[in-house]
Amino acid sequence: MFIQQLINGLTLGSIYALFALGYTMVYGILLMINFAHSEIFMVGAYVGFWVLSALPFLFPQITPLYLLIVFVLAMVVTGALAAFMERTAYRPLRHAPRLAPLISAIGVSIFLQNIIMLTVGAESQPYPQTMQLEQMEFGGIRLNTLQIFIFVLAVSLMVILQLFITRTKLGKAMRAVAQNHIVSQLMGINTNTIIAVTFFIGGGLGGVAGVLNGLYYGSIKYNMGFLPGIKAFTAAVLGGIGNIKGAMIGGFILGVLEALAAGYISSEYKDVIAFVVLIFVLLFKPTGLFGEEVAEKI
Amino acid sequence: MKLAGIIVSVGLLLALAGCGGTGEQVVKVALVCPLTGDIAAHGQGMKRGFEMAIEDANAAHKLGAAKIEAAIFDDRGDPKEAVTIANQIISDRAIIGVIGHLNSGCSIPASRIYEKRNVPMITPASTNPKLTMQGYKNVFRVCGTDDVQGSWAGNYVLDTLKYNQVVVVHDKTPYGQGLAEEFQKQIVARGGIVTSFNGIDQGEKDFKALLTRIKTENPQVLFFGGLYAEAGLITKQMKELGLAVPLMGGDGMFSNEFARIAGPASEGDFATMVGLPPSKLPQAADFLARYAAKYPGQDMQPYDPYTYDAATLLLDAYAKVNQNRDSLIAAIAGTTYDGILGRTTFDERGDTRNKQISIYHIKDGRFAYYEHK
Repeated sequence: MFIQQLINGLTLGSIYALFALGYTMVYGILLMINFAHSEIFMVGAYVGFWVLSALPFLFPQITPLYLLIVFVLAMVVTGALAAFMERTAYRPLRHAPRLAPLISAIGVSIFLQNIIMLTVGAESQPYPQTMQLEQMEFGGIRLNTLQIFIFVLAVSLMVILQLFITRTKLGKAMRAVAQNHIVSQLMGINTNTIIAVTFFIGGGLGGVAGVLNGLYYGSIKYNMGFLPGIKAFTAAVLGGIGNIKGAMIGGFILGVLEALAAGYISSEYKDVIAFVVLIFVLLFKPTGLFGEEVAEKI
Repeated sequence: MKLAGIIVSVGLLLALAGCGGTGEQVVKVALVCPLTGDIAAHGQGMKRGFEMAIEDANAAHKLGAAKIEAAIFDDRGDPKEAVTIANQIISDRAIIGVIGHLNSGCSIPASRIYEKRNVPMITPASTNPKLTMQGYKNVFRVCGTDDVQGSWAGNYVLDTLKYNQVVVVHDKTPYGQGLAEEFQKQIVARGGIVTSFNGIDQGEKDFKALLTRIKTENPQVLFFGGLYAEAGLITKQMKELGLAVPLMGGDGMFSNEFARIAGPASEGDFATMVGLPPSKLPQAADFLARYAAKYPGQDMQPYDPYTYDAATLLLDAYAKVNQNRDSLIAAIAGTTYDGILGRTTFDERGDTRNKQISIYHIKDGRFAYYEHK
């Protein structure tokens, strides 16, 4: 049973981790919590839903390519939406007091939820099942292809992101902007572009997490982003907000903790237990597990 | 003073125009149920039943010259919203009574508000017994209750399915938890084994950790007190984890939406319903035919005929007391109404005496009535 719970937790954790990256990247670069990120996740799930529903009519033959098309489209649409959000709702407030963009983010979140609720409807929509689920069993432990797919996709996206941040010029520019906006501007970096790129990447990963969530649980709804949004944000804080590796590890830890708490102690108390652990981690390590001490920004 | 005078006279003029202008008197009946949200499928069905009742009453000139108008509100299944709407309703003097709400969690707090102004409330769907145990004279219920439903389901599991090891899951709402407790009580009282009693959160999607543990308890059936959205996810995840036992629930998951969410995993699952299937009742045939003609392609939801009956019963009582609102509540309490679902009379608490339970199971993706001996 322990291994089964570990599998449950890691699948859930993969989605949290992908989702958490968007929170942590934006925080790293702007010191701002983008509350509308949970709606990016939801929109991603809906884009996937529409594409999956439309594809069989457009191209009845190319079934194996479905998922690739779905993920690329969902990523592009949600990435663009996140960048657009930054341009319209956050950039004009960049030099305002820190509370202002936060409130603006809450506004964007409510706006997107209501737009989807009013145009698409408030009911749960069953997600189209395109993947042939192969159930495997090893000594009483059940695992399906979708769970493996989610884990592999999440880990590879995170590795690609890590390489992008550490090995490319654009990644270097992102790190520079995160350290200091003004100095990096003096060095010839266009900070506005870099911030928009950060939102695009974070949003795209959130959109992929949304599609994975839809595929895995099989139903989506306009307010589906809220609860996992809080969990993903928690994962980002647990790992050390602003730190990309921290967000990934934090997501996996939170997913596994929840599964173990629900499996061994009580399903009613699983969130209580997960959050008590979070409080303890923060008491002893206020910057999170992987957070570094950063010199105060002036 | 002068301004106040003008306001008063304008108000009087408007009031005169309102009732004297066309010579038509308007009587409003309110329906409150979730038209959006997690259990909107049930609420939308209630709305269809309600609209038919109002149409029929107008066609029959039930209140003489007075025109009957439907005032329909959406409480989204949210207790806070339900209370806000209840306050709105009691401030509208044209509303003679309320049909609703659906969720017990909404009906109970809202009933306190209607009681303050003596507005009669007839719920076609809230099944938590506590609703009518508050001692309010204005609260009535035309459907069965969870104490009857839960113990009936318990007996069904023990006697018909011949299972004696069950596990119980509920959604921590007054409806879901209430029903689950009644079921558990019956199983334990008759010597069955409840391996564990677990709460989940509404809106949660991942139940695999809990279900993995439940699998090790080797239950023969999982009983769920809650609504169809969560029920669908649970049965789907049960089968993915290899926990191949049926899921059984109450009226809250009795909707074909359940099978739509769960897909083929729901095949063979059960739901009880507070009342007999309308398709087996001879007096309902006419209603069913007219419903199908009026709403082609729409699935009848479990509470549509109850809502129809509740609204018609209220208007009949109002007609009987010559539209005197002060005696309306007493008239409902003393009513004997023969409707779609048989004869409704109320006991001293306001519950119907017509408490029958039936059981359905999923066959080819739809709930089908299950004849039992």
